[in-house]
Amino acid sequence: MDPARTPLGRMLLDEITPVVMVIRTPLVEEACRKNGLSFVEMLSPFCSFSNIDVPVRTASDQPYRIQKFKLRLFYASDVRQPDLQVANERLKEVITQAGEKDLSNLSSDLPQVDELLSSSESEILPSWFDFFNKQLIRTMSFSDHEAFDHPVACLLVVSSKDEQPINRFVDLYHGDQLPSLLNDGAMDPKILKLHLLVHDNQDGAPEKASKFLNEMRSTFGSNSSQLLCINSSQGGLVEHLQNPWAPFKTDASPTERLGCFLNIDDFNEIKNLMQDLASKHVIPYMEEKVRVLNQQVSATRKGFRNQIKNLWWRKGKEDTPDASNGPVYTYSSIESQIRVLGDYAFMLRDYELALSNYRLISTDYKLDKAWKRYAGVQEMMGLTYFMLDQSRKEAEYCMENAFNTYLKTGPTGHQNATRSGLWWVEMLKTRDQYKEAAGVYFRISGEEPLHSAVMLEQASYCYLLSKPPMLRKFGFHLILSGNQYKKSDQIKHAIRTYRRAISVLKGTTWSYIQDHVHFHIGQWYSFLGLYDSAVSHLMEILSCGHQSKTTQEFFLKTFLQTVQKSGKACEVMRLPLPVINSSSLKVVFEDHRTYASSAAAGVRENIWHSLEEEIVPSLHTARTNWLDEQSNFISKRIKDSNICIVGEAIKVAIEFQNPLQISIPLSDVSLMCELYVRSDDADSEANSSTAELQNDETTKSIADRFMNSDVSSFTLSNVEFTLEGGGRKMVQLTVTPRVEGTLKIVGVKWKLSSSVVGFHNFVTSSVKKIQKGRKKNKPSPADNLKFVVVKPVPRLEGFIQSLPEKVYAGELQQLTLELNNKSDLSVKNLKMNISHPRFLNIGNQRNLNMDYPACFEKKTNGVEQTFPEQTSNVLQNVFLFPEETVVQGDTSFLWPLWLHAAVPGKVSLYIILYYEIENPESFMKYRTLRMLYNLEVLPSLDVSFQISACPSTLEEFLVRMDVANKTSSKNFQIDQLSSIGYQWEISLLQPTDSLYSSPTLMSGQAFSCYLMLKKRKRLDSSEGNGSRSLAVSDIQLSTEGAGGMMYDISLSPVKDFHNVERLQHGDSQEGDSKTVDFVLLSRPLNRETDAGVSDGPSLFSHHECHCSVISTSPISWIVEGPRLIHHDFSTSFCEVTLKMTLYNSADAAASVRINTMDSSQNVGAQSSDASTLASGNQAGWYYVSLDSELKVTSDVSGIRMKPPSSDNVSPFVWTGSSSTKVRLPPLSTLAIPLQISVFSPGTYDLSNYTLQWSVVLSDNQGNYRETRPSSGTCQGYSYYLTVLQST
Amino acid sequence: MATTACFIIVSRNDIPIYEAEVGSAVKREDAAHLHQFILHAAQDIVQDLAWTTSAMFLKAIDRFNDLVVSVYIILNPLYLPGSRIASSHFDTKVRALARKYL
Repeated sequence: MDPARTPLGRMLLDEITPVVMVIRTPLVEEACRKNGLSFVEMLSPFCSFSNIDVPVRTASDQPYRIQKFKLRLFYASDVRQPDLQVANERLKEVITQAGEKDLSNLSSDLPQVDELLSSSESEILPSWFDFFNKQLIRTMSFSDHEAFDHPVACLLVVSSKDEQPINRFVDLYHGDQLPSLLNDGAMDPKILKLHLLVHDNQDGAPEKASKFLNEMRSTFGSNSSQLLCINSSQGGLVEHLQNPWAPFKTDASPTERLGCFLNIDDFNEIKNLMQDLASKHVIPYMEEKVRVLNQQVSATRKGFRNQIKNLWWRKGKEDTPDASNGPVYTYSSIESQIRVLGDYAFMLRDYELALSNYRLISTDYKLDKAWKRYAGVQEMMGLTYFMLDQSRKEAEYCMENAFNTYLKTGPTGHQNATRSGLWWVEMLKTRDQYKEAAGVYFRISGEEPLHSAVMLEQASYCYLLSKPPMLRKFGFHLILSGNQYKKSDQIKHAIRTYRRAISVLKGTTWSYIQDHVHFHIGQWYSFLGLYDSAVSHLMEILSCGHQSKTTQEFFLKTFLQTVQKSGKACEVMRLPLPVINSSSLKVVFEDHRTYASSAAAGVRENIWHSLEEEIVPSLHTARTNWLDEQSNFISKRIKDSNICIVGEAIKVAIEFQNPLQISIPLSDVSLMCELYVRSDDADSEANSSTAELQNDETTKSIADRFMNSDVSSFTLSNVEFTLEGGGRKMVQLTVTPRVEGTLKIVGVKWKLSSSVVGFHNFVTSSVKKIQKGRKKNKPSPADNLKFVVVKPVPRLEGFIQSLPEKVYAGELQQLTLELNNKSDLSVKNLKMNISHPRFLNIGNQRNLNMDYPACFEKKTNGVEQTFPEQTSNVLQNVFLFPEETVVQGDTSFLWPLWLHAAVPGKVSLYIILYYEIENPESFMKYRTLRMLYNLEVLPSLDVSFQISACPSTLEEFLVRMDVANKTSSKNFQIDQLSSIGYQWEISLLQPTDSLYSSPTLMSGQAFSCYLMLKKRKRLDSSEGNGSRSLAVSDIQLSTEGAGGMMYDISLSPVKDFHNVERLQHGDSQEGDSKTVDFVLLSRPLNRETDAGVSDGPSLFSHHECHCSVISTSPISWIVEGPRLIHHDFSTSFCEVTLKMTLYNSADAAASVRINTMDSSQNVGAQSSDASTLASGNQAGWYYVSLDSELKVTSDVSGIRMKPPSSDNVSPFVWTGSSSTKVRLPPLSTLAIPLQISVFSPGTYDLSNYTLQWSVVLSDNQGNYRETRPSSGTCQGYSYYLTVLQST
Repeated sequence: MATTACFIIVSRNDIPIYEAEVGSAVKREDAAHLHQFILHAAQDIVQDLAWTTSAMFLKAIDRFNDLVVSVYIILNPLYLPGSRIASSHFDTKVRALARKYL
């Protein structure tokens, strides 16, 4: 690419061009002023030539042609370094103006990153950057350390109206009008002088002027004298299309009138004049000067000898005192001349020549430590390299060198550094090194805020334009720039940069960045009075949980103040504070399902459903019923909508979270709802259902609607609370529709710190529905929040009076169910279902006024009682209230309930009450009331029973009852134990008073007692029915307190609960004669109770069901016979006859085999299989020691202690058959005779026999086989027989 | 010497998952956001540089005035994208190390 066509190239061709100094008389200026222009301004449009086509020959012999050329015209008074102060003021003005222009954009939408990336450089960069940079470069012009700003020629202008124009020409050049550059010797005062006579055609014909011109020509030479006639148009009405002067007017005066007296002739005359000036005077003069200077330089500095000389000479003056700025170089010094030569060559585009001279002088300046000049030369070298398009590295090195060197030279150098930096930047940009360019911008940003703001902003765009774009750097530098703009009071620019930064930083999770940007931009907007924008930005920083507490307070305060200032305190907006936990949203509404408490509403639907199944008419029939009555339209809508009823509240629970550490007060928290009355439903559906709440506009309008919503159609609940720092709170809100129609819950609104109203839409967020009932496929969350409101229907309210939260296990309490119907319509056909019949049972209306527990007292004392067994299992949980039950009006309907805490633990009691609505017009045929009570059952008495067979008697069992009081504070009095079984009777082993002095069980105590369980003597065995009924037998365990009162457990609640318990444990429904149930009744003694635990008169009942009376084998036996015999062994051995009675308790016949063993056999058997035998089964004759310790050691050592006599024959033998096999029919007894022969006196243990039994099972008793052994072997009992020698 | 330092772990997609302001210098109010800005911007450099070297430690890759940015590029295959490091134990360790070396 041609360097001259690059931006930098064009800039250089624009800026580094010959300067023509203009000195004019006031009259000249006056003539030009008629056109609204100064003289220089008038000539300016004609100073740049795009195709001047002048041949140039500089040092070499080869001429070349210049096409583009430009002259810079300055008044002599302007040829000096501009006042920095003024220049800065001007720059500031430019920026401020640009800021004002941008104001309209400030409140528009935020720019998008994609837009920025896709648009070209010129679209992104603000247009005034170029202007700013140019102005900045110009503030550094006319420095004495470089020559390209030094005037090449001087144009002296005198008006034809001036008196004695010739003299005026002479006067003009002499005097203190000349710039300091010429006066203080920095440049050669002998410069090219051109004389121009200006004639205003309005002052008369140009004859007089021609006369003066001739005079001038004779005085100054014909070449350097010119005449310019202007203002040829008399009327001053010349209008110029694309006014050429407009770009050169820097102040804001109107441009239409510019050049109004200049017609086309004047135009051409000026054009020709300037072309002449450039091609015939300035360029040839410069050529000449270059040639002359080149010769001089060659003579003094070129060649080996000159170089050595120069070096040596320069080393010599190393110790110059003013080392800081180097020596002063006058125009006549060779250094200055080389610099002039270089600059002229540069301006004439002979870059080779320029470069060689710059190089030459560069080393000189370096050696002289003339740093500023050195930097200037380095700068030019860099530019020359660039224009030559050679060695990029060199060019950049030179630029960097120049930049750093300028910085070294102190504060004034910074300005120059900025200029070289700008050129350097352009150079890098040309080569697409945007990243590096950004770095340079950053380095030239400097201290002054406004200046650095602009530079930083330019740096940021470089990052944006780099490939690939560095968006984060872009954002960061925009922020830095914005900060500097703010410091220099350019708030609009600050906002502009921050807004751009937001486009990049939007959605970032870098929280501090987010907060910083939004907070500042919000504040600035507020400063400008754009409160809407301010509020919207400040809103972003409200939920700043990561900030410190003070910052959070400050942010919130700023936000509230801004809102206050905006005067829109009541306006609704999407506040991010507090945070609404959308997933926590729960909607509870009641259609045919109603809830007694919120806890009941929180239960999973399928639990209710399973309970409801039995009592609610099937879905299909229910639907046809009302389909017949209602129109098709409604039914269709209702099918896919939720139903609610006029006057019944819909409850919405939603969680509010506070992300901050400070507490925030919230008031007026309520739902936002819409209710369409049915008639206009279709319309409003169309309006509102689609595309609502898409953008902020509609949000606002909808929000407004809710603010002033028609409150007559529904009622909203209002909540006020304070959210503690970091806290979360579940808030329950309600809406109660007042008329029929369609109700839509849209969202929730609240007032923050009683000044700002915020809202949150549910629709956009997902809704967790708990009421799903019948619908399977829900179309959208929005539909979940839509309800069809139907006519009022009676609604029962019900609760259980005084149901305690905590009870002790076994406690029996009477409760009352209270039902109220607020509606005028009555309800009927009440049904009820309870999930845990073990715990809660429905009583009888009779119970309602009964005295509890006195009502259980046994009245028929002594008469045998039977226990009514539950017969039907069907519908056992569903309770049907009497037909005539109608609940209506103000009176509450009461019904008794019984609570029995069956087992310890926590239990949830689900109760469903079904009722039908009498009114046939009604929308619903029935409704259900769902109640939930949570009960905690504490352990109280721990009761267990152990039944073992009595060895001494058949069909008698020993019952061991263990009762332990597990409570911590309660004392119990054990009142009564009842057994329930088909043929069993319980009795005390001994009379009560002698056994138990204290039947009271203190907390932590335990006691055990033995009881006797006997087979009931059948009074009327012939009666088949009697044997199948459960019989009750009671024993009173306490003697005091109750006064001998006994309770009748066959009365209703105890009976019912017992039946439920039986079912709970029951493996067999039909009566099992082998099992017995026990019911232990007790009463708490002390009245002081724990908090929350029930008090009042109560009875405790503990049920133990299906205690088996059979432990291991169905066969039991006893051996009867004499225990002490006197016999004279001298005559014969003694024969003893014994009787064994066998009893078969099994349902089936059993075969029993009795094996008797003599001790000798027995020994052998034991030694072979000693481990399997219990230690108590030592058979045969052996020494029975009374010392138990000895026996223990013998067991441990495994050595059988045998008396020596054991080696001999056995002291007794079984006589009679050694093996007897008998068949025992079921439930029968059989006596078998046994006989032994005793040979010597002594005490004998007759346990050395075994009973082998097996139950003969029929086919239908297959289940028996699984649960109990069908055969087994029993060791004989010990039976001690003492035979004494009779005397 | 009083030092100031900010230690941030950034996961994919520019998400800072751990932040700690360490160093012995007195905390300035605006330090937190300035540090975030610098580190956030430095990712542009890291993004380019990471593919040009096999080193995991990129020393002084970016600077802002007297603050220097150094980066470790590491990879944790067990990391669940998007989750933050909330372990207080880790935080204590980082701060202890910072006290030791800064």
